[in-house]
Amino acid sequence: MADDIRAMTAQLAADPASLVFLELGEALRQRGQLDAAYKVARTGLARYPDLARAHDLCARILCDRREPDRAFEEWVTALELDPGLAAAHKGLGFLYYQAGDLASAERHLELAASGDPADSGVRAALERVRSRQPMAEAGAVPAPEAGSIGPAEAAGVPAAEGGPAPPADAAPELDGREPGGIERSVVAELEQGTGALLLVDANGLRLGGRLRAPDGADVSDPVAALLAGASREAARTARLLALGEWTHLAVECPDAHLVLAATKEGGVLLALRGPDAPMGRLARFAERAAVVAARWLEAAG
Amino acid sequence: MSDPREVLDRLSSVRGLRGSALVSAADGLVVADSLMTGVDGRALAALAASLAIRLRRTVEAAGRRPPAFLQLQAAGGAVLAAPCGPDLVLVAIATTEANVGLARLEMLEAARRLG
Amino acid sequence: MRSVEPWVAAPLETFLAESSARLTLLMTASGQVIAQHGFTRSLDVMTAAALGAGIVASTEALAQMIDAPRFVSLVHQGARQHVFLSGFETPRGRWIGLVVFDGESTTGLVQLFFDRLVQELAAAAPPAAPAPRALPQDFEKDLDQSLRALFGR
Repeated sequence: MADDIRAMTAQLAADPASLVFLELGEALRQRGQLDAAYKVARTGLARYPDLARAHDLCARILCDRREPDRAFEEWVTALELDPGLAAAHKGLGFLYYQAGDLASAERHLELAASGDPADSGVRAALERVRSRQPMAEAGAVPAPEAGSIGPAEAAGVPAAEGGPAPPADAAPELDGREPGGIERSVVAELEQGTGALLLVDANGLRLGGRLRAPDGADVSDPVAALLAGASREAARTARLLALGEWTHLAVECPDAHLVLAATKEGGVLLALRGPDAPMGRLARFAERAAVVAARWLEAAG
Repeated sequence: MSDPREVLDRLSSVRGLRGSALVSAADGLVVADSLMTGVDGRALAALAASLAIRLRRTVEAAGRRPPAFLQLQAAGGAVLAAPCGPDLVLVAIATTEANVGLARLEMLEAARRLG
Repeated sequence: MRSVEPWVAAPLETFLAESSARLTLLMTASGQVIAQHGFTRSLDVMTAAALGAGIVASTEALAQMIDAPRFVSLVHQGARQHVFLSGFETPRGRWIGLVVFDGESTTGLVQLFFDRLVQELAAAAPPAAPAPRALPQDFEKDLDQSLRALFGR
C-alpha cells in the first residue's frame, strides 16, 4: 500500500487536477493518516466543489477524526449533489444509529441498499438496526456497543488502523438540510419518546416525547411541571426587560446541553443533547422542532 | 478571588452588552453593577436570578448537573447568566448585535474567578 | 384577593401574579386593613395587620433614635417562608404592605413588583372624598362592612 500511496502522490503532484485525490485520500484514511488524508481531500474539494464523492471522502475522514457534525454536513451536501450516492446514505445511517435515531438510520441504510444491492455490509448494518428497533419503541434506546458499525465497515471497506471511533456525540438531526429530516426526526421523537425531546403545555403537562435521566429513569412528568414555570419566567423576563417575545432558552451544563423553545399558547419544547452538541445549532433545531411539534399536535387533534 | 468591579468593567467592553451585574443568587439583589442608562438593574438582577433558580431546578430534576451558562434569547436582545458558585450569579443584558460568543467566554472565565 | 377599596384591586392582582406572594396585606399605618390575599380567617388578618403595623412603627422609632431617615423596607428571612414589610405613601396617607413569600419568589422580585404596585396605586387612586365624621356607633358597623368586603361574606 505504501507504494500505491507514493505512486498516487506523484501522480497528483504532476497533475493537481487529477481525480486520483479521491483514491489517495481514502488510502491515507485507511492507514490512519488522517491529517494528510484531510489535506488531500480539502485540496481536491476546492477544485471540485460539486463532486459528491469528494464530499463523501471528506465526511469519512471527519468521522474518523471524531467530528460527526461536520461529517454530517458533508454527507448531506453529497446527497444534494447526488441523491443516489449509496456511500452518503450509509454514512448518514451510521450517524443516525449512533445518535439513537433508529428510524432515520434504517431509512438511510435502506436507500443505501437499494443503490447497491450487492453490498453485504449495508445489509448487515440494516439487520443490526432493525434488531434494535423493538427496544427503541419500548422507550429504551441502548447506547451503541463497542465495535458498533462504522461508516467504513458499513461500506464494506476495512477500517483504518486503530479503527474509526464512533462519533462522540452525533446529533445529525441538528442540521436541517436533509429534506424532511427534521420533521421526521422530531415526530419520531415525540411519538416514540426516545428520551431527548419533551413537549409540554402551559400547565406543565406532557404533550409528547419523553425525558430520561442518565440512569435511564423517566423524569418526563417532574420536568414537565417545572418547565411550565421556567417558560412563564422566561416570558416575564423578556417582557419586563423590554426584549419582546422570547424565542428560546439555552442552558449549558457540564454534562448536557438543553434548549427550551417557546411554542404556541405558552407551551414549551425541551431538546436535550450531550455536552458536545453545538449550542447554536441545537437552538436552531429546537426552534424549528417547536414549529414541527405544533403542527404535529394540531394534526393529532 | 477577583474584584467584581474589574470583572464587570471587562464585560462592559464586549460589543452589544448594555449592562452587567453581579447578583445574590438566592435573593436576586444587586451586589455590583455596571449598566448603561436606561437599563433597570434591579429588574435585571431579580428576574435573571429567578430564571437561573428555576432552570437549575429543572435541570436537576432531569438528573443533570447545575447549569454553567444560560442564554434567554428574545426578539429584541438576550439575557445572559453565569452562576459563580452557589451564592452569586453574573448576569448581562445584550442587544441583538452583541457578540454573545465572546460575552459567554468572558462570563465563564469571570465565573471561574469569582466562584 | 379582597379589597375594601375597589381601585386597589387591579394593581394588587398584578402584584400577586408577578410576585408569586403567598400572603399579602395592605393596611394603613394604624393597622386598618385595606386589602388582603391568601388569608383564610379574619382573626389572622387582624392579627397580622396589628403585628405588621407594630413592627413598622418600632422600626421607624429605631430609625429616629439613631437619627437615620425612615427605613424603606425590611425583610425577615425564614427557613421556608419570608416576610417583607414596607411603608409607603399613597394619596390616602401612609400605608403598609406585608408580603409573605416562599421559594417560588425572591426578595429581589418582591421588592421589584412592590415598587411597581406603589406606583400603580398612586396612579389609580381617585380623588379623596371628605372623610365622614367617625362616630362610636358606626365603628362596629364599619368593621363588619370591611370584614365582609375582605372575606366576601
